[in-house]
Amino acid sequence: MVVSMVPGLLAGLESSGIDYDAVAYRTGVILVEDPGWWAEDPNGQGEGQERLRDGPSWEMVDKDKIKRVGLAVSRETPNILLSTKVEKFFSTSFFDEDDYRSKAIFGDIPYSYNFSLNISNPDGTYDLKQTGSPIPLGYGYIRRVVKIKEPGVAEINESFKDRYTGVEWNSTARNFTVRLDFSHLLDPTIKPIYRINPRIEPVNVTITDFRDYLNDSYEDAALKNVTFWKTTKEDPRPVRLSWLSYNEKKPDTYTLHLDGDSHNLTPNEPVNSSISLVLRPNFMTFMGPTDTLDIQFNFDENPPKTNITGIHHYNNTSVTRPDLKTAVLEVAIW
Amino acid sequence: MVNDAGQLYTMEGIAAGLIMILTAYIVVSTTSIYTTGDTHIPDMQLEQLGSDVLAMMDTPDNSSGENQLVGLVYHNRSDNFKKEFLRYCNATTDGTLDNLHMSASVTYRKNSVIKEHPFVAPDETWTGRESAVRVTRWVQLTEGPPNPYENRLQAVLVEVLLWRA
Repeated sequence: MVVSMVPGLLAGLESSGIDYDAVAYRTGVILVEDPGWWAEDPNGQGEGQERLRDGPSWEMVDKDKIKRVGLAVSRETPNILLSTKVEKFFSTSFFDEDDYRSKAIFGDIPYSYNFSLNISNPDGTYDLKQTGSPIPLGYGYIRRVVKIKEPGVAEINESFKDRYTGVEWNSTARNFTVRLDFSHLLDPTIKPIYRINPRIEPVNVTITDFRDYLNDSYEDAALKNVTFWKTTKEDPRPVRLSWLSYNEKKPDTYTLHLDGDSHNLTPNEPVNSSISLVLRPNFMTFMGPTDTLDIQFNFDENPPKTNITGIHHYNNTSVTRPDLKTAVLEVAIW
Repeated sequence: MVNDAGQLYTMEGIAAGLIMILTAYIVVSTTSIYTTGDTHIPDMQLEQLGSDVLAMMDTPDNSSGENQLVGLVYHNRSDNFKKEFLRYCNATTDGTLDNLHMSASVTYRKNSVIKEHPFVAPDETWTGRESAVRVTRWVQLTEGPPNPYENRLQAVLVEVLLWRA
């Protein structure tokens, strides 16, 4: 009996070239056509899937909760990859070799792999991302053509100066608000590949040319703090987010830069050229699909050095969204 | 004189024969023969690539952007279609170009007749004996003069033959 099994064993080794192609194809499909999947606990399978529909996706949860990585924006949009997922996937400081095997390749034997993604930029340059070992002879292969969706930026430059500058008023407090209306942003009539979804992509608010918003003769104005206010459909009164640690830098949740220097949310530092605030999707996990988030930039000096005021709506018309970028994904398995 | 030596030789002979037959069997059974049944793998790889390319040409880069595939078919720009299609197809991540070639046709209905419009003619690498794959995609065309098919709102079928030279 043993003798009769030997050829089968050897034959299995010999024909694995064909098997590699199948594994490469499967891995390609998982990466390109699937948004990934995670679960809160290894046995409870339904929860992560339910929450994935409009909750956080795998790139925002701890690594041990991730069950499967996929790079697609959503399950309805094959071949359109989300840049934040791509970044995380190719981050070797986040994933190690076993993670790629257990969350993307699957299979009984520890396959070697090489994933590479070449993104073409509009200016003709290429951005190559790669992970894995050098490719030997005789490997399984698949090539997929994809497009990459990148997050937009709401740039508030000097062209908004007249709209967002008020006349003198009694109080010395000055505040400027950027409003994210989730029911508007997540409008299902907008195709997912063109939609601004703060829950899966970072929100970037950048005030450039801040100099133009300063009152006469002042060189700079001090940004006292940035605060966040949430309103829900049921309760239209804004509630200040108190869970957030305003005095601590949290690069996983937000980054604030004044004239290029990183700060926490209560900088009290003079600024004269640019204010840039990026809120990561982690920040949005508490936001419901019909809620509204107000980001308030507060200035308070006596005498006031800026008269910036007003509400800027963060939406499809005010946000500059980069075009989808064409890319080639190659998966090699051996 | 009769003794056991002959019997021993016979047994050795049979054992040696068995080992040889076994060896031959193992060698034969472990040789993988590339049968026609396995050609579906390179075919599948090409088909996947081709349908990816058509899908991506059918996806505008922004919400108000132009649909490349519809534009090229509608304006009958066969040279540009060929150039764009092969640019997507032949791109690899290390910058080298693959060696894929293509031809294309558009199938449409005019009155009650189904017609085929030769959209992109095959190049000189086409001998007719290639192991080519076929990928298709439906394209919705609006009414208007540049429409080379029937001048009405219609869906036409773009068929691309793809092969490696």
